[in-house]
Amino acid sequence: MLLAATNLLTLPDYAVIALYLICTIALGVRIGRRMKTGTDFFLGGRRLPWWAIGMSLVATDIGGTDIIGVGGAAYSHGLAVANFEWIGCVPAMIVGAFIFIPFFYRTGVYTIPEFLERRYNAGVRSVMAICWLLFMACNLGIMLLASAKMMSAVFGWNAIACIFVTAILVGAYTFVGGLAAVVYTDMIQCGVMIAGCLLILVLGLIKVGGIGELKTRLAESNTRQDAATHQVDRVANSDRPAQPDSSASTVTAPVAAAAAEVVASERASLILPANTQSPFPWPGIYFGLALILSPAYWIGNQAIVQRSLGARSEFEARASYVWGALLKNIIPLIVAVPGLIAVALLPDLPDGDRAIPSLVGVLLPAGLRGLFVAAFLAALMSSIDSYLNSAATIVSNDLYKRFFDQGVSDQRLLTVGRITTIGLVIWAIAFAFLLTAMREGSGIYAIFQTLMAFFQGPAFAILLIGVLSRRATGGAALIALLCGIGTSISLYALNQPTVYEALRWEPLFKIQEPFLYFSIWSFGVTAVMLVGLSLLGGPVPPDKLKYVFGHHAKAAKVATERDTGLTSNAEGESQ
Amino acid sequence: MTPLHQFGDLLRESLQAVPLVAVRMLFVASLIALLIWVLRLPRSATTPPDGVNRWDENLKTGAALALSIQILIYALL
Repeated sequence: MLLAATNLLTLPDYAVIALYLICTIALGVRIGRRMKTGTDFFLGGRRLPWWAIGMSLVATDIGGTDIIGVGGAAYSHGLAVANFEWIGCVPAMIVGAFIFIPFFYRTGVYTIPEFLERRYNAGVRSVMAICWLLFMACNLGIMLLASAKMMSAVFGWNAIACIFVTAILVGAYTFVGGLAAVVYTDMIQCGVMIAGCLLILVLGLIKVGGIGELKTRLAESNTRQDAATHQVDRVANSDRPAQPDSSASTVTAPVAAAAAEVVASERASLILPANTQSPFPWPGIYFGLALILSPAYWIGNQAIVQRSLGARSEFEARASYVWGALLKNIIPLIVAVPGLIAVALLPDLPDGDRAIPSLVGVLLPAGLRGLFVAAFLAALMSSIDSYLNSAATIVSNDLYKRFFDQGVSDQRLLTVGRITTIGLVIWAIAFAFLLTAMREGSGIYAIFQTLMAFFQGPAFAILLIGVLSRRATGGAALIALLCGIGTSISLYALNQPTVYEALRWEPLFKIQEPFLYFSIWSFGVTAVMLVGLSLLGGPVPPDKLKYVFGHHAKAAKVATERDTGLTSNAEGESQ
Repeated sequence: MTPLHQFGDLLRESLQAVPLVAVRMLFVASLIALLIWVLRLPRSATTPPDGVNRWDENLKTGAALALSIQILIYALL
C-alpha cells in the first residue's frame, strides 16, 4: 500500500503548519529588534543560554531531508544508520564539551578559521574560510532544492514555490535576528521536530503491536527477503534467460542477490561486518565516523561551534554540548526506528524514501499530519538558517574584516553581515535553479555533497595537531591541508567507474559510497605530512603557542622555576 | 593490480578477520574509557565557577548519563 502524506492534508493540517510558521517568524523578528552590533548578530551578543544552544545544536544537525532520508535508509539498510546519531555524535560532543569548546571560548574568536590564523597563519585561515564558505553556500542551494523536490513529491506542492518561500522565510528572520534568532527559532523547531517524529514512533509501535511484535515482524520480513534472495540465486544460476514477465527478472545479478541477503540478515544490527554491502561497515563507522568525521563536525564545523561561542559563559558553552549529547540519544529512536516500523507495516515499498511519508499517511489522522509536515519544515529551516548565518559570519569576519577593512566598526560589520545574508539567500535560490537546469540523473547533488565533505578530514587533522603539538608550523599546516584535500579528491576520482575502467584498474573501495574511507585516508595523509614537515621546519613563534593546549600551565611552571632559580642565585650571592 | 590495491586487499582481509564480538568490545570499551575519563575530571571543569555544588549543576551527571546510554545501546544492539 503506497500512500503519501500528500493528498491527505486537510484544513486542520494547514492550520497547524501556518501556526508553526507564524510563531517561528514572529519570534525571529522580535529578537531582531535587539540587534545593535556585529557581536549581537554573529554571536547573539554572547548572551545565549545553554539549553537553547543545546537544542539548536540538535536541530541544526537534522536537516529536512534527514527526517525522511534517515528513516528511508533504516528501511533499506537497517538500524546501522543510527550510528550517525549515536557513536557518530555523542562521544565527540562530550570530548568537545570538556576540552575544545571551552578552549575556543576563552580565545574570544568568532570563527574556526580565525582560530587557525592565530595558531598558524593567514594562509591556513584563508583556505579554510574559502572551503567552509563554498561548502555552506553550495549546501544552501542543495538543501533548498532537495527539500523542495521532496515536498513536491511527498506533499504535492509546487517545487519552485517551495524554494522561494523557504528561502525568503528563513532569510527574513536570519537577516533581522542573526545568530540569536537562529538559536531561539531552532529551539522551537527542535521541539516541533521531536514531537512530530515521536508521534509517528508511538502510533507506529501501537499499530504494530509493541516492540516484541516489531521484532517478530522484522524477522519475518528478513525470512521473506532471504527466500526471495534464494529464488534470485536460482534464477541467476540457471541457464534459462529471465522472462520479461517473470517477477524474478527485476533482480537478476548475483551481486544483487548477495546484497539482498546481507541486508536481510543485518537489518536489526548496529555493528556490521567489514565486508557488508551497505555503506556502513564497522571500520568506516569506528575509524572514519567516530574518530574523524564526527569530531571534525562537532569540534571544527563553523555552523556548529559558532553557537556555543555565543554562550553566556564558558560553563554554559560546555553545558550546551552536554545537553545536546543527551538529546542526541533519542534522535535515532524517532527518525530511524520509524523506518523499521515501515518494514513491518509496509514491507513492499519500491524505495526507502517512500517509507516515512507512507507511514504518515497510514498512521496519522487529519490535523496530526500537519504536525509531521511542520516537523519536516522545522528540520529544514533549522539547518538552512544556521548555514546562512555561519556563512555570513565567515564572509564578514574572515574575508571582509581580515582582508578589506581591519578597522571596521562593530555597527558597520552588522550591516556587512546583513547584506551578506541577503546575497546568500539570492545565491542559494539561483544555485538551486542552476542545479534543476542540469541534466537529470547526472548525480550532481551527490557529487557536490561528496566533494564538499572532502576537506573535513584534513581540516580536523590540522586543528587537532595544532592544539596538541607545539612543533606544528603554519607553512607545514598549509601544505598538509592542501595535500589532504588533494588526497580526498584523488581517491574519489579513482573510485569513479569511468576513471578506473580507463586505467584498467579494479575499484579501490568495495562498498557503496565509501566517503567514510576517504576521510580516514585524507586525515592520515594530512597528519603525517604536517608532523613530518613541521619536524623539518624551524621553531614556532611564541605568540602562536598560546593556542596550544597546556601552554599557560607550562609557561607558569617555567616562570616559577625561573623565579626559584633567581631566588637561589640571589641567596648564593648574598652569602 | 597496483601496490595500492594489494595494500587495500591486505587491510580489508585483516579487518574482515576481526570477529564481530571483538568489534563490539572495541566500541563498548572506547565508550567506557570515555566515561571513566569524564568521571575523573576535576570539579572545576564540570561545575559553574560560582555554583553551589548541587549534583544537578555538575556536568558530570549529564555527560555520564549520555555515555551510559550509549554503552547500553552498543552492548545490546
